This record gives sequence, C-alpha cells and structure tokens, in this order.
Amino acid sequence: MNTTSLTERYVDAAMRTVPEKQRDDLGTELRASIDDQVEARVGNGEPHDAAERAVLTQLGDPDKLAAGYTDRPLWLIGPRYYLTWWRLTKLLWAIVPVCAAFGVALGQTLAGASFGEIVGSVFSVALAVVVHIGFWTTLVFFIVERSAHGADAGLVSPWSPDDLPEPRQRGTGLGDLIASLVFLAVAAGAIVWDHFIGFGWTPDGWASFLAPELWPWWIGALFVLMVLEALLAISVYAKGRWDIGSATVNLFLNLTVAGGALWLLSQQQLINPEFFPAVIPADSAQTVSTVVSTVFGFGIVAIALWDTVDAFLKASRARRG
Amino acid sequence: MSETEALDTHLQELRRGTAVLACLRLLEKPGYGYGLLEELSARGFETDANTLYPLLRRLEKQGHLTSEWNTDEARPRKFYRTSTAGSRLATALTDDFHAIAAAIDALPGTN
Repeated sequence: MNTTSLTERYVDAAMRTVPEKQRDDLGTELRASIDDQVEARVGNGEPHDAAERAVLTQLGDPDKLAAGYTDRPLWLIGPRYYLTWWRLTKLLWAIVPVCAAFGVALGQTLAGASFGEIVGSVFSVALAVVVHIGFWTTLVFFIVERSAHGADAGLVSPWSPDDLPEPRQRGTGLGDLIASLVFLAVAAGAIVWDHFIGFGWTPDGWASFLAPELWPWWIGALFVLMVLEALLAISVYAKGRWDIGSATVNLFLNLTVAGGALWLLSQQQLINPEFFPAVIPADSAQTVSTVVSTVFGFGIVAIALWDTVDAFLKASRARRG
Repeated sequence: MSETEALDTHLQELRRGTAVLACLRLLEKPGYGYGLLEELSARGFETDANTLYPLLRRLEKQGHLTSEWNTDEARPRKFYRTSTAGSRLATALTDDFHAIAAAIDALPGTN
C-alpha cells in the first residue's frame, strides 16, 4: 500500500495536535471512518482516488477536526474572559505608558540630554510599554482560558447593578467647588506666607522659596489668575456641568499660569537663589537646585496638562450625556 | 446574510440537539461510526462525519456511551453502546422533545 496516501497524510496531520495518549485510539478510529466512507463511495461507482479526495475534503481542515475531538479552544481569549481582559488592558494602557513617558522625560532631562534625544526616547519607551502591556496581559488571559480545562477559573465575578458606571456629571458637585476654593485659598495663603515669612529656615532667619523680585507684580498677576480660577469653579458649579466653553477657559488659565511659571523657571527667576544654599550644605546645593527646578518644571507641566485634559473629558462626557 | 443562509442557520440550531437524541437511542444496539452515520441519514437525521465523530467522543467522555474495539474483521472498528446513564438521558430528551412539539402545536399564529 502506498504509505504516503492522502488518507495517511490526513490522519497524521490531524493527530499532530492530539495529546499522546489519545493518539492511537483516535487515529485508528479516524482511519477506519475514512476507509468506510471511501468504500461506500467506491461501491457507488466512484474511482478510488476521487472518492478519497471527496471524503477528505468533506472532513475539512485536520486541525479543526482534531480540535473538535479534543475540545481545544480555537481562539486566543474566549467570551468568558474577553471583557475582563479588555477592561484591564484599557486601564493599563491609560495609566502605565503615561507614567513611563513622564519618568523617562524627567530622567533624560536630569541627565542633560538634548531635546531631540528626549523626544526620541520618550516615544520609543512609550511604544515599547504599550506593546509589552498588550502582549503580557493577553498572554496571561490566554493561559487562564486554557488552565481550567473549560471550567470557570473564578476570575470574573458575576455582574451586579453596583458595577454600573457612575452618572456622568461628576466633578461639578458642591464638594468639588469647596475643594477648589479651599485649594486656591490655601495656595494664596502659602504664597503670602512665603513672601512675608518664608519656608526655608536659615541661621539668619527665614528664606522664602519663591524669588523676592516676583513681588508684587508677578505675584499680583498670579492672584488675578487664581481669582479667575475661582470664578470658573463657581460657574461650573452653577451650571451643574462642564462644557466646552468652561474647558477652554480652563485651558487658557492653565496655559497662562504654566507658561508664566515655566518662563520664569527657565530664567532662574522663579525660585529664590538664596533658598537652597540656606537650606542645604553648599557643595550639593547646585545639583539639588537644578534637580528641584527641573522636577518643579515637570510638575507644573503635568498638573496643567492633567487639569486641562480632565476638564475636556468632563465636558465631552457632559455633552454626550 | 441571504434568506437561504439565514434559514440554514436556524434549521441547524433547531436540529442541533436531535442528533444527540437519535444517537443515544440508536446505540441501544452497539454500532460503529460509519454505520451509525448511514443509519442516521436513512432515518432523516442528516449529519456530517466531522460532527458525528466528535459528538460520539464527547458523549463517551460524559459517560453516556461506552466503547470497545472490535478486532474480528480485517478493519478494527470502535463500537459504541449507550450506557445506563445514556438511556436515562435519552428518555429525558425524548420526553422533552414531545413536550416541545405539543407546545408548538398549541402556539397561535400561522400554520
């Protein structure tokens, strides 16, 4: 008998994905079944080869047939775990790449890299993080899917109405308004305290954190912007929701504050130069002041960015809702 | 999806469980894969080979069928037979099928 007959090749291909101990049993049964069907067709007058071909065609892809025999899932992640996997991946993608990019940018700046290098490394790190998160979460759920032999691994808790997303108009309640106003008041108070008394203790007395030259005009401008922020918070509360107008005003306020602060920072005019030598020993003062300035700068950018994006998100949610 | 394709899908859904019922009742007498395939076809339970064989395996794994290899003839064949659990399942399925048929007859609407 021709040992590389179509039937033999088919049975071999099908048995490749079947576990060792079932292979003989299944293989023999499949071969017998194919031979029976071919025999029946030949009995009806078909030539052997054509009959064999027709039978095998009807049986279909040998891997698919074997998967039907062994109950092997022919998908990466099935319906049972799909939503859990997707929600987790979305959450990780929203948080981790941003943090990683921020960290890398900060580190590169502190190490003194050029702007092009910073942008390049941020982009490549962010991309790598996104890919890694996608791969590893999928791999974990791939394994979970196949681990319990089709039974529930207990990973997904049953849904209840408590899991419903909160109603859309968040961030506009009385609590938020009070929090915003209190924050602005404390910040104003801190700035005033800083000017008249100062935050750094030296043997000669208190040294202020912000440069004294900023008083009164720059600080005055800052207070005006803070008043505008307070008015914005009150208007959002009165309207009951964020809209594109409020979000845009918020954007401009953030741009002004952050832009002004960053410009001053770059001119070395934001932080009091007396502050660091007063507060830390002389030899590390320069490094620390550079580090703190850079971190401060990144902090300003991060907060401004977060606040702006948050306002726009709330506005778009309110518009949809 | 064209109307015939939709029709085929719905018919497939409708008939899916009846193949199990037919196998369990026919295998009260021991039978092997291809013979069963022919008999099912002759009795009006059209099934493909690549649906029937995995189905027989699954029923065996669940304990509704027992199997043994018959090496009497030139070609060794695996003979299946309905177990006692399988008979109970067959009865339950048949009763349910009659109940559904009666319920369908009692439905209002076009006939």
